[in-house]
Amino acid sequence: MDIHSYEKAWLGAALVLIVFFIATITYGTVGAGVSMVDDSGGTVDPNNLADHERFGDPGVEQVGENEYEVNVVASAFYFNPGSDQLGFDPIQVPANSTVTFYVTSSDVIHGFSVPGTNVNTMVIPGEVAELTVEFDEPDTYGLLCNEYCGYDHHNMEGTVEVVPEDQYDGGDGQ
Amino acid sequence: MSQSTDQHGAPPDSVIERELTHDEFDPIGTAVLITLYFLILVGMWLFTYFVEFLGNGPTVVGVIG
Repeated sequence: MDIHSYEKAWLGAALVLIVFFIATITYGTVGAGVSMVDDSGGTVDPNNLADHERFGDPGVEQVGENEYEVNVVASAFYFNPGSDQLGFDPIQVPANSTVTFYVTSSDVIHGFSVPGTNVNTMVIPGEVAELTVEFDEPDTYGLLCNEYCGYDHHNMEGTVEVVPEDQYDGGDGQ
Repeated sequence: MSQSTDQHGAPPDSVIERELTHDEFDPIGTAVLITLYFLILVGMWLFTYFVEFLGNGPTVVGVIG
């Protein structure tokens, strides 16, 4: 078969491009440590969250020197903690910390999304979404529900405050 | 229009100005244009993945499995 040299070059470039795409994704996973949200958070009884050790009193907990756990209950139409617009505490963590969010729902499917970042998970009643995030710089992020959950879905929002380490007061505004 | 080709679909000999062999066909302009598009594509992938995705604020991290 007689293949033109330009066609050979194009076939080669296309193959190299595919390998390049796969290589960058592999680097992201192995080198940069990007992870997917899976079902490792386990299950929970959505009707008895008040009795649950993690979600009975949701909020921020320090579990290590720079490690924090944030337990969040999403309900129609707020995040507790998170929805400071509705009187709940904002989620507040210090900068230079590793934060693991445990998010569950007490009613319907919600979303837990920090817009502009890849912090984004579905929140399913009965399931705990577990996601670990590193916050390096002080900043204020929004928090949104991105799964339609009812008539007031568009107002279901919150705030994640990453404050300088010396201004951190425990996370619950206490 | 209908007179420019004969009944076998080939142009009449008088229309052919120069005949090229397979290897003499050399569309260098097209090759350069596609190379340019290719480089733009690679550049946009690098920007999207490394700057927008990995570089933009907190990223979900962890260990696979």
